[in-house]
Amino acid sequence: MNRLRIWWSKLRHYAGAVWAENIKEWKLELTYKADFARGLIDPVVYLLPYLLYGVALVGGRSSENLQRLVGTSDIITFITLGYVFIGFLNMALWAMGFSLRKEQFYGTLESVFAAPVPRWVFTMGMSLHSILHQLLMIAVQIVFILAVFSIRINPLGLLPTLLVIALMLVALYGIGMFMASFTLIFKQGWLVSEALSSILMILTPIAYPLAVLPAFMQQAALFVPTTYGILTARHFLMGEKISFTLNDALLRLALLSLLWVAFGLLVFALIERQTRRAGTLSHY
Amino acid sequence: MADSTHPNPGPPALLCDNVVKLFRRGRGLKKKVVRALDGASLTIPQGELFGLLGPNGAGKTTLVRCIATLLIPDSGTIRLFGHDVFTDSLFCRQRIGLLTSGERTLYWKLSARDNLRFFAALYGLHGRDRDRRIDYLLELLGLREVANERLERYSSGMKQKVSLARALLHDPDILLLDEPTLGLDPQFGRFIRQFIKEELNRKQGKTILLTTHYMDEADELCDRIAFINRGKIVATRTPAEFKREIPHKEILEVRCLGQPDTTGLKHLDGIEQVQADFRDGITTLRLVMPKAEKVLSEVIELLRPQVRLLGIDVKEPTLEDVFIYMTGTSLGADTKEEIQ
Repeated sequence: MNRLRIWWSKLRHYAGAVWAENIKEWKLELTYKADFARGLIDPVVYLLPYLLYGVALVGGRSSENLQRLVGTSDIITFITLGYVFIGFLNMALWAMGFSLRKEQFYGTLESVFAAPVPRWVFTMGMSLHSILHQLLMIAVQIVFILAVFSIRINPLGLLPTLLVIALMLVALYGIGMFMASFTLIFKQGWLVSEALSSILMILTPIAYPLAVLPAFMQQAALFVPTTYGILTARHFLMGEKISFTLNDALLRLALLSLLWVAFGLLVFALIERQTRRAGTLSHY
Repeated sequence: MADSTHPNPGPPALLCDNVVKLFRRGRGLKKKVVRALDGASLTIPQGELFGLLGPNGAGKTTLVRCIATLLIPDSGTIRLFGHDVFTDSLFCRQRIGLLTSGERTLYWKLSARDNLRFFAALYGLHGRDRDRRIDYLLELLGLREVANERLERYSSGMKQKVSLARALLHDPDILLLDEPTLGLDPQFGRFIRQFIKEELNRKQGKTILLTTHYMDEADELCDRIAFINRGKIVATRTPAEFKREIPHKEILEVRCLGQPDTTGLKHLDGIEQVQADFRDGITTLRLVMPKAEKVLSEVIELLRPQVRLLGIDVKEPTLEDVFIYMTGTSLGADTKEEIQ
């Protein structure tokens, strides 16, 4: 009973720390109001060229070739649903590392790391803020696309989609931890993010079906969590054909999550320890 | 070995035993190893206000950062209330209140209250308990009126008060105060010193490790002081004991315009040490000797042809004199980059 109480108190403490980090990030973000407003427009601005390019190439909204490849012809909905996941991928590759970098820039990283919470709890708070931020961006995108292009999705597909996204986010947290580690050890950690981002953007079938990639890249794509997110989301929301069942997707994502989280935490712990040995934790 | 003078029962609040910290800088042929801590040992009993006095680069901040688990030493042991700070890190961090030197340890774009709310959550405080604690600390430190203003509008002294409030949020058992009055104007410096001594140590009974390179601050506040120089704890005594370290000695302080050659002074009979501090065109010479009046005329004779004398005084040894006497280094010196 006593042990249970200790665990409960610890859980409450850690959950409070995660939430506080999220709130603090929102408050800091909202102090730069013009930048925040620009950030709300960005997702729409970046999405539009994809859509217009697709429509121009196909010669309309409906593509027979797309229908043949994935079982659905609506290129606008296809790209919009895929594009949503770029944000999630960017969140993992950039947001957490950038948050740590900001703490170094503010000079607050050591004060935060001196607190009695494991350091991964703090990064989890950063991750929560990034996810909520991303959801806000998606909401803006969806409202815009609904208003201008009217996307057609199956509302019954929302529940399994959210389930897959939730699991995908766990795996992305692992990737985020891994990427954030580079921020601690290399002051130009963004180079790694840039390289990995380029590779994952090609492997993730955002604006094209997986089938157009060479066979070895299709295999490689199956190790990227967002691939499952995109394919299953499009499967349930607009009927894209996929080569695996929902259970397969969940199982593979669970495995990927386990691997990425374990790998991310391990690398983060090792590098964070190394920076405390080298005395470079707060170096900017 | 760590010294072992702690009158209180139970484990000491802090025990550092033979702590070594090396920093490796550069690569290849340019690689340097800086020995920041060279077997530092000290023991602080519960409830003591302990000062770590040394010049810039002596290793004070490095030791504090090791205790706070922000740095991992190359060897040695650090125990807090009997717990190893590295194997029992969360326990120790919960009992430490850390005030690091420098202003940029808070979020300047947030208000004092928002800063404290954020850090309170990291220290496990929630809801009404958290709000009551924050209100209490803001009141105690005279920040209540400005609590909702962004820190970027605060003066350095006010920011330091918020940092102090943050260090006290979780009512820690031990406070690590790293140069708490550095860069503050005299009024804020006085407030912080009084707050540390009267409120935190005397009234609340907290154990405090205070690092400083201000001799007066250490003398005024600390129950015991350790001299640290080039990463080593040179000696640990009470301020009074330290001053008795130069028995039957007097300090002849000479102020003069310009920079005199002190070689001749060093050879005068009876003079044991000569320290010269040149600032704004004025040199202050401090000569250690058994009896000042015996060499006074010779000192004047030597200096008069070189510089214009502004004043001569005979003084009791200060902590700084003792520090120089023991280490040969001034507290105002910068001893960084000691290469192994």
